[in-house]
Amino acid sequence: MLRNIFAIARNTFREAVRDRVLYNLVVFVLLIIGCAVFLGDLTAGNEDRTVTNIGLSAMLLFGVFLAIFVGVSLVSKEIEKRTLYTIFSKPIGRGEFIVGKYLGLCLTLLINVAIMGAGISAALVYVGASSLAVSVWGAILLIYLELTIVTGVAILFSSFSTPALSALLAFLVWVIGHFSSSLRDLAEGLGSDAARWVFGFIYYVFPNLSHYEFVTLAARGEVPPASYIGGAALYAIVFNAILLAITIVIFRRRNLK
Amino acid sequence: MKISRSNEFLVLAAILLAGFLSVYALSDRLAEAKPQLPETYEDEDLSLQGEKLKGFAFGFEGLIADWYWMRSLQYIGEKFIKASDRTISLDDLKPLNPRLLYPLLDNASTLDPQFMAVYAYGATVLPAIDAEEAIAIAKKGIENNPDEWRLYHYLGFIYWRLERYEEAAETYEKGSKVEGAAPFMTLMAARMRGDAGSLDTARAIYRQVYEEARDSQTKENARLRLLQMDFFEESEVIRRALEEFKERNGRCAVKWQEVTPLLASKSLPSGRDLRVDPDGNLVDPSDAPYLLTDSEGRCDVTLDRDKTKIPIK
Repeated sequence: MLRNIFAIARNTFREAVRDRVLYNLVVFVLLIIGCAVFLGDLTAGNEDRTVTNIGLSAMLLFGVFLAIFVGVSLVSKEIEKRTLYTIFSKPIGRGEFIVGKYLGLCLTLLINVAIMGAGISAALVYVGASSLAVSVWGAILLIYLELTIVTGVAILFSSFSTPALSALLAFLVWVIGHFSSSLRDLAEGLGSDAARWVFGFIYYVFPNLSHYEFVTLAARGEVPPASYIGGAALYAIVFNAILLAITIVIFRRRNLK
Repeated sequence: MKISRSNEFLVLAAILLAGFLSVYALSDRLAEAKPQLPETYEDEDLSLQGEKLKGFAFGFEGLIADWYWMRSLQYIGEKFIKASDRTISLDDLKPLNPRLLYPLLDNASTLDPQFMAVYAYGATVLPAIDAEEAIAIAKKGIENNPDEWRLYHYLGFIYWRLERYEEAAETYEKGSKVEGAAPFMTLMAARMRGDAGSLDTARAIYRQVYEEARDSQTKENARLRLLQMDFFEESEVIRRALEEFKERNGRCAVKWQEVTPLLASKSLPSGRDLRVDPDGNLVDPSDAPYLLTDSEGRCDVTLDRDKTKIPIK
């Protein structure tokens, strides 16, 4: 079973590279170099802070778009090109296929995030903030964990919906995921039981992505404690297990003919 | 691996149950464990300089200036809210440590040099933080808008507050020569040379600030100052009545009803009347009852810090 999953993951990664998905890195690197070189004069002696803020925010946005747009097309493309039938003519289960695809995209994102992170670190060294160049990696790891959840959401929607609608839904979940914590706090202040229940439900059922928001703190040189990263990783693993379990059940029932 | 349909649902239900229970426990723990931004975060140095932003804002300089303006109002507002348990004097805002107010106003006025509200606000609030910064922003306003007489008034007002009456007189005089300047400017130029420290001058200046103010905060500050002027005027008259009462009775008054007959015969220089509330207590210009004090035989009147809205020095 593991061999099948890894084979699909490896092929998904190769496909992403062939599709020139990694080209976004060129844009990202140019953006970071631009920030480091040109913003030095614009910022009031806060180049390191600005490079970190822009770099990490851009990394998250690029990553989310990549996770959503590649994630929603993973299954539909295979159906469209009819390559799915070739795969399923071999002793590969639908569950293995979904998990393999998911891991393949996570690997693509990992390479992306690592290169982007190296770009940010290089830019920070350029502006003379060597300590930040190291400390930002805690925030980068949290961003990657967030992206794995977004990938899981994108694949879940793509298992039963069209790519366009899946992308839209996945994006909305990403937005809600970042707001759910604030919405729950807001509901607490409203004093309405109904609002408390609704937002409490959203808070626990939707992925709470505010756990992975660390950009502002990272720009101040803060490093997430190892225990916090461990908890955030565990949360991502659990949520991804839930998302993949639902996806597999839906995909197993899907009529592919 | 083949799983029957009914077993499949059971497995899914088990995963969902275990998963969401873990998520429930983890989510709250993570929220508690997450490092928080320090309270001083709002005092982070500004990332961008207005001067350098100009020309790189896609024509949105005005919009960004508006943002800096609103941010500066919020910044001071937040500082006051956080210090609500302390008594902060409007004459000295340094305990609030609002060190970013000047850079915020400076950015707003650089991006939009004709933003009059920024200069007015800077003139009324910055003197209580850093007088030189207040002068700098008013001078910058005059440099950018030499035909705007109100800016001379703001600068003259700052000099007057700092008791630099000669510079105040010169500034009011320059302002009075600007086309369309209010007659008040000429009057002030003369007063600064002869009667700068009087209550009448202060009242005239704050009335002008009140009438000219285009934003509610500046207007409110000026209104409170006018109430303060009324208090200074009233307290003089009340003190005299309290002394008279002591001379007649050999002790300080312990309730207002004892002094009211004496006060009824007194008049305020401005022509206003002293007021009492339904309980017979003398009230200050913000309608809070005055307090009678007896400090080692010295009979006095003071404002009730907890109830009055008048700025206390």
